[in-house]
Amino acid sequence: MKLFRSSLLAAYAWLLITTPVLAHHSDAMFDHEQVRELSGTVKEFQFTNPHTWVQLSVKDANGKVVEWSLEWGSPNQLGRQGIRPSTFAVGTVVTIRANPMRDGTPGGAFIGARFADGTTVGRWD
Amino acid sequence: MLACYAPVPAFLLPPRRIGWTLCLGSAVLLALLQGVVQAATPDWSGVWAMQGGTVFDLATQTGKGGSTTPGVREHPPYTPAYEAKYLANMALRDKGILPDPNSFCGIPTGFPRILNLPDVYEFAVTPQQVWIIAENGPNVLRIYTDGRAHPAPADRWPTHTGDSVGHWEGDTLVFDTLSLHSSENGRTLVDRTGLMLSEAAHVVSRMHINAAGLMEVQMTIDDQQALSAPWVVTKRFKQQDKGARVYDYACNENNRNPVDPKTGWTYTIGPDGRIIDQSATKK
Repeated sequence: MKLFRSSLLAAYAWLLITTPVLAHHSDAMFDHEQVRELSGTVKEFQFTNPHTWVQLSVKDANGKVVEWSLEWGSPNQLGRQGIRPSTFAVGTVVTIRANPMRDGTPGGAFIGARFADGTTVGRWD
Repeated sequence: MLACYAPVPAFLLPPRRIGWTLCLGSAVLLALLQGVVQAATPDWSGVWAMQGGTVFDLATQTGKGGSTTPGVREHPPYTPAYEAKYLANMALRDKGILPDPNSFCGIPTGFPRILNLPDVYEFAVTPQQVWIIAENGPNVLRIYTDGRAHPAPADRWPTHTGDSVGHWEGDTLVFDTLSLHSSENGRTLVDRTGLMLSEAAHVVSRMHINAAGLMEVQMTIDDQQALSAPWVVTKRFKQQDKGARVYDYACNENNRNPVDPKTGWTYTIGPDGRIIDQSATKK
């Protein structure tokens, strides 16, 4: 599994270079100068067109659970790179890095994720 | 006509066998000709992905050394009127509010943008037609290679992909495309920076596998209204690993970023179907 995710990392790094992840629409809502690290529990992985979304339950500073919407590439592109609907199983504890939405909405553009066992997917430099 | 190619001279055969021989000779010749035609079309099978970004003029790509100053860009050679239109589109693009029909879900990408998409491609060659099939959209460009000409002007009307007819020059497909929608009135755009063409656009494309093994399409775009000179654009595609698959692309399956065609604003929808971006709800 570790090797699988490492290869995914390399593959996705290539993907980032060669194709825009969110080519379908403007990504002006995301602040690409900022990286937010979120630790939480996967509520849902929407492996759907035109883009995939990780719904992540995250506790805020007051202990209140907030649901974040993290947008990733198309299931077609990711699927060819080895990502599967099972990559983010419901209930999985994970840390995700994302470019947050500019207006403070709990959402962002997915960059990469690190699982409890140390394996990663996406870009995790 | 074909009978003259019978393998055995007819005068050497008994009269009742001449007919059978003529038929046999014709059939053999026909099969040979079909083989020649099929052998003349190259093997373009497999799955291919476009190389480079999804803009036609890299100099206009935000953040990559691009410039919006006329004269600095290499392409396209716009007329002053279209240069102004394009600069206006790029200004909207820079604010993230360019209403790009490609983001509306359901509107065909059209030509030449169909050769400028993310995701992957298939190039299906038959003796009568070539189909350029883009996973994104999905979109299809049909190129007739059966010898037909374009419809007469009175019998054609603008469409997103226009009308394409072509022929083979060795392993190179040469095709001619016209009858395209104008980029005016928000109907279509040539790329996500807001490139535009008029209904006068006429494109001659040359498509082949180059020495590096890449599918290469060189488009020479002529547009008497929008361009002051022909604009030559080349796109290249790399064959993916054997066994790569092409999947459904269903833009409306879970489109959580609908775009307002009037304002160009891209909304973000939450998992419950409601708009979640606070800046949008304040608008």
